[in-house]
Amino acid sequence: MWSPYKKRVLRDVDRWQSQGWLSDEGRTAIVADIQSRGRDFNLASALGILASVLFGFAAISFVAAHWEDVPRLARLALLLACIWAGYGIAGWLEARGHSLLADAGVLFSSGMFGASIMLISQMYHIAGNAADGVLFWWIGTLVAGVALRSNPTLALTMVLVCVWSFLKISENNDVHWPFLIGWGLVTVAFAWQRWWPGLHLSALALSLFIVSIGYLLESGHSHDLVAIVGVLAALGAVALEKLRPDLDHIAAPVFAYAVAVAYEGLFVLQFFESAPLGRLIVLAVVTLVLLIAVIAYAMAQGNRGALWIAYIAFSIEVLSLYGVTVGSILGTSLFFLIAAVIVAALAYAALRLARQSQSGGLAA
Amino acid sequence: MIVERKWLWPLLGGVAFLQSAALFGMVYERHRLLKSGREITLSVRPLDPRDLFRGDYVTLGYDISTLTKSDTESDPDYGGFVAGSDAFVTLAPKPEGGWTVAHAGSTYPSKVAPGEVVLKGRVLSAWKSQDPAVTNVTVRYGIEQYFVPEGTGRDLEAKVRDHKIEAIVAVGSDGGAAIKGLVIDGERHEDPPLL
Repeated sequence: MWSPYKKRVLRDVDRWQSQGWLSDEGRTAIVADIQSRGRDFNLASALGILASVLFGFAAISFVAAHWEDVPRLARLALLLACIWAGYGIAGWLEARGHSLLADAGVLFSSGMFGASIMLISQMYHIAGNAADGVLFWWIGTLVAGVALRSNPTLALTMVLVCVWSFLKISENNDVHWPFLIGWGLVTVAFAWQRWWPGLHLSALALSLFIVSIGYLLESGHSHDLVAIVGVLAALGAVALEKLRPDLDHIAAPVFAYAVAVAYEGLFVLQFFESAPLGRLIVLAVVTLVLLIAVIAYAMAQGNRGALWIAYIAFSIEVLSLYGVTVGSILGTSLFFLIAAVIVAALAYAALRLARQSQSGGLAA
Repeated sequence: MIVERKWLWPLLGGVAFLQSAALFGMVYERHRLLKSGREITLSVRPLDPRDLFRGDYVTLGYDISTLTKSDTESDPDYGGFVAGSDAFVTLAPKPEGGWTVAHAGSTYPSKVAPGEVVLKGRVLSAWKSQDPAVTNVTVRYGIEQYFVPEGTGRDLEAKVRDHKIEAIVAVGSDGGAAIKGLVIDGERHEDPPLL
């Protein structure tokens, strides 16, 4: 449970109590319930995770410096000892109930596993297989993350899957479909763990992958596909929210990420692909209408993530259109006219929403 | 971590063992390739010496790193080369020493004459030049980096300037290649074996 939510509820509880709506027992019960839910992310475990990341980087740069004074077998033995030590410390901490600090130990060992792969590549002058090395690494961290149910290690695995695909894409300059296998495995693990930040990481990784397709298929001009996939995913999220209102905690973030993906595609189609004027106008109108629809929908659903993405996208859209239209045939005055119409439409939508919620409130 | 107490140590031990075994497997595979692979010596193409030992590894270029269509006229499979695909390059010994490309294709050659050796690589790029009959292919064999101890690059660089460098390469039966060491002016520099 994230502490901002706890703080918010506690503040509200105090307010409700001072208004006399809440008894002392009621307040105590609510506070106890909030405190008992979820494990707090304390400073010690956060620092532990950071320290293990730093240890990992230290080891990797140590290896990169080609540590010649020590015999090769001893170097390998030292790295293996580090892997075992990390797991040993993790077990010791877990047995004493420091579960989050134990995660730092597992994360450290997973980093050491990667450092060992790099060292062996260096020892044997294995060149040009950085992607294969990262593939080997993420399979190892996935096994550790699933077997030990360690969320930070699974997060590292997702990052490594992205690095693997990035290396493959820069090597072949083609869509790296095997990414979906790695992504699917890690996402299933996140879902099994019921770890929300991890699922957000999955959504972000998949969004980046879909966006990358736009730059890779059809020699880098399939951004229309990105926009369509984004719009369809957003519609799917809306349908899910309507059909299964109990799943809105899944539908809402999916909607927000889909909006971001769809807008990225539409933005590139409008401003990077040097669209002719007629096409640009059509695309701009479609984009603005869609964004206003998103804003209205996000407001109605209380989807703050989607609302912010749509606000930012709207601002970028208007500024970019301004930049394109200045001095062109369209003319700045026409641009302001369009902007005025859009903002007026927004205001009307907001007014209607306000009325709806007011009448709803009266009825209740 | 959310692990049941009785499973804690077996799981930790299991994961540590699996990761260690994977690393040992990686070392063993290389070790075996270096030990049992067929040894060939390839001359390293002169590179800009300032570039040669700048970092902590040397980038090695070979004559067989770039193929042109004339090398492979006999090969109907030549069109199968696209960036990222496998490349199997058959080398034949030259009478005066060294190796020359006898055949190249994207699948393992069906017949290999005794004395010839097949190297497996990966196509980095394949592009048609202005003459449509000529296609240039760049291949990476995984033997293009030679790591040197930190700080010793400059010495080697001075040694190497105006000298002849060759790479000692071990080639496995599947075509996989690994660098054993370098020959600088007839002097053999080789890493001692791990075990």
